[in-house]
Amino acid sequence: MALLTEVQKNYGKLKNYVNGEWIESTTDKWLDIENPATGAIIGQVPMSTADETKAAIEAANEAWWAWRETPPIDRARLFFKLKELLELHYENIARIMVQEQGKTIDEARGETRRSIENVEVAAGIPSLMFGYNLEDGAAGGIDEDAIRSPLGVFGAICPFNFPAMIPYWFWPYAVATGNTYIIKPSSQVPITQNYMTKIAEQAGFPPGILNIVNGSHEVSDTLMEHPKVKGISFVGSSPVAKYIYKHSAENGKRVQAQGGAKNSLVVMPDAVLDRTVNNMLASYYGCAGQRCLAGSNLVAIGNIADPLLKKWVESSKKIKMGYGLDESVNMGPVVSAKAKKKVLDYIDGAEREGGKILLDGRNAKVPGYEKGHFIGPTVIDGVTPDMTIAKEEVFGPVVSFMRMEKLDDAIEFIHKSPFGNAASIYTQSGKAARDFKYKVQCGNIGINVGIVAAMAYFPFAGYKDSFFGDLHGQGQDAINFFTDRKVVITRWF
Amino acid sequence: MVECEFPECTTFGSVVRFALELEKGAAGVYEELAKAVPSAALFKELAEIHKKRVSSLENMRQQKLNEMILEPIQDMKRENYLIDTKVPMVSDAKQAAKVAMKIEETSSKFYTDAAKSAKSIMAEATRFMDKLAKDNLAYKTKLGTL
Repeated sequence: MALLTEVQKNYGKLKNYVNGEWIESTTDKWLDIENPATGAIIGQVPMSTADETKAAIEAANEAWWAWRETPPIDRARLFFKLKELLELHYENIARIMVQEQGKTIDEARGETRRSIENVEVAAGIPSLMFGYNLEDGAAGGIDEDAIRSPLGVFGAICPFNFPAMIPYWFWPYAVATGNTYIIKPSSQVPITQNYMTKIAEQAGFPPGILNIVNGSHEVSDTLMEHPKVKGISFVGSSPVAKYIYKHSAENGKRVQAQGGAKNSLVVMPDAVLDRTVNNMLASYYGCAGQRCLAGSNLVAIGNIADPLLKKWVESSKKIKMGYGLDESVNMGPVVSAKAKKKVLDYIDGAEREGGKILLDGRNAKVPGYEKGHFIGPTVIDGVTPDMTIAKEEVFGPVVSFMRMEKLDDAIEFIHKSPFGNAASIYTQSGKAARDFKYKVQCGNIGINVGIVAAMAYFPFAGYKDSFFGDLHGQGQDAINFFTDRKVVITRWF
Repeated sequence: MVECEFPECTTFGSVVRFALELEKGAAGVYEELAKAVPSAALFKELAEIHKKRVSSLENMRQQKLNEMILEPIQDMKRENYLIDTKVPMVSDAKQAAKVAMKIEETSSKFYTDAAKSAKSIMAEATRFMDKLAKDNLAYKTKLGTL
C-alpha cells in the first residue's frame, strides 16, 4: 500500500502567533520535532521566554474589551467561517498530525472531526450564552437578572496525544463567549496547532483574540502566574494536573486540569464476545494506547476469561503496525523514545512481578521504519490488583488481563484506584449495566463502549485524580467555565 | 488501462481507499468500453456515475469518521474484491457488457461486505454503502439488456 503524501517534509522553525502576527522567538533554546514513525526531524519548536509569553498576555488583554463588545452573533459568524476552512484543510490537518504524533490517518481524521465539532457547537453561542431572569424576582417591581459575562484572557497548556482536538475543547468556547486566548501546544507536537491557527487567522479573528506561544515550563509558569490571565485549562498527567491546579488557584485563577487514567474494561460472562473484542481492540491499541480514555486493565468476570483471552490474543496478533500514513495500518508508534522506554519498563516490571506475557510487543519491528518508536500489542495474563501494572498509568498498547469472580469485585478494584477517568462494562444484562453505571466512581462510563469520548456538546468528565477542578471541558461546562454570572437587580422609580 | 492500487481492508480508511480505487478503475474501464462501442451510451453514462462516486465516498469519509468508534476490520479479504482494469478487445456491446457486469458484481459484493463491517463500527456509513451495492446490481441488470 502506498503511503499518503506528507504535507511537507519539514516545517522549519515554528513561530509564535501574537496579536495577529507570526513572530520568531528570540530564545536560543529550540527543540527538534521528530516524526515518531520514521525518526526524521520535521521541524524545530522554540522554548519561548517569559517575556514573550507576557507580551502575548498583554496583547490578548488589550484585544479583550473590543472583542467582548462584539455581539455574540458576529463572533459566531467567525466560527462558521472557521468550520468551512477547517473542512477544506481537513486532510492536511490529519496528515500533519500523523507526521508529528504517530497516530494512524483514521485516528487523525477522526480527531480532526472532533475538533470541528467543537467549532460547530461554539458557533451556537448566541443561544448557549443566554442568562436568565425573573420579573419581580427581588421584590414587587424589582426585577432580577443573571447575565453571563466573559472574564478576559484564558490559556491552555496542551498534551501530546491529541494535538488538534484538545486545544479545541477550550479555545472556541472561550473566544465565542467573548474572552481572548493563548494556546501553548505540546512542544512534542506543536505543528498541527500552529497550522490550525493559520486557518483561524484566515477565518478573520481580529488580532490578539487567539494567540499561540510555543514552549515549555517557562510559558506555562508565566500563564499560571500572570495576574491578567483569568483561567487555565490543562490536560496531561495527574501529578502535573495537580500542580497546575494548585499553582494556578494560588494565583487566583479558574482551573480545569485533566489528569491521567487507569481505565478498566470489565467483560461479563454474557458479553457478545466478537463484538466486545473488536470494540475493545480500538480502546487498548488505538493511538498506541496513548489516550486518557484507553483501556488498560481488562477484567474478565467468571467463566468468560479463557475464551475471551484466547480470542483477544488471536485478534491482537492481527493488529497491523506501521507508519500511520499507510491507510491499512491499525496502530502507529508511541510518541518518543522516552515514552517507549517507560512502557517497556512497565512490561519488564510486570514480568518480574509474576505476570505472564502472552503476546510480547517489546521487540516489535516495522520493516523500513527501524528508527520508529514502535511497541507491538502486548498482553499480560495473571495480573493481580496489587501489581504495579494494574495500578499505574502505562500509556502504551499493553493489556493487563485480570480474572475476577463477580462484578462487585471489579467495582471494588476500580474504586481502589486513585484515578477516576473512565470504566466500561460489556454485558447484555441491563441490571449489570445499571449497577455499573450507578456505582462506579469514574467520570466517563461505557456500556459496551470502550472509548467513552464525550461529544462536543457533553462535558469530558473525570473524577478523583483524573480531574482537578469542577467545570470540565466542552459542553455547557465550557460555557460556565469561560463566563461568570453577573446578577443585576433593577428598580425604576 | 487505469492503474489501481488496492490496499488490504483492515481499517475504515483503507476500505474507503479500496472503494476509491475501485471507482477509479471502474470509470477507466467504462471509458475504454465507451470508446470501443460508441453506439452504447450506457458505458459513458456509467463512467460518469463511477467518477461521481469518488466525491461521495470522500465526503462520507470526512463527515462520518469519528475517532471514538474506530475499530480494526478483520473480516474482509482484499482478494475477494479485486477487479481487472485491463480491458480486453471487444467488438460489440454484448461483449463489452460482459466485462462491465463482472465489475458491477464484484463492486456490489465489496460494498455489501463493507456495509456489514461498517455496521459494527460506523452505522451511518452502512446505508450509503448498501445503496452503492444495490446500485451496482441495478447497473449489472441494465448491462444484461444490451
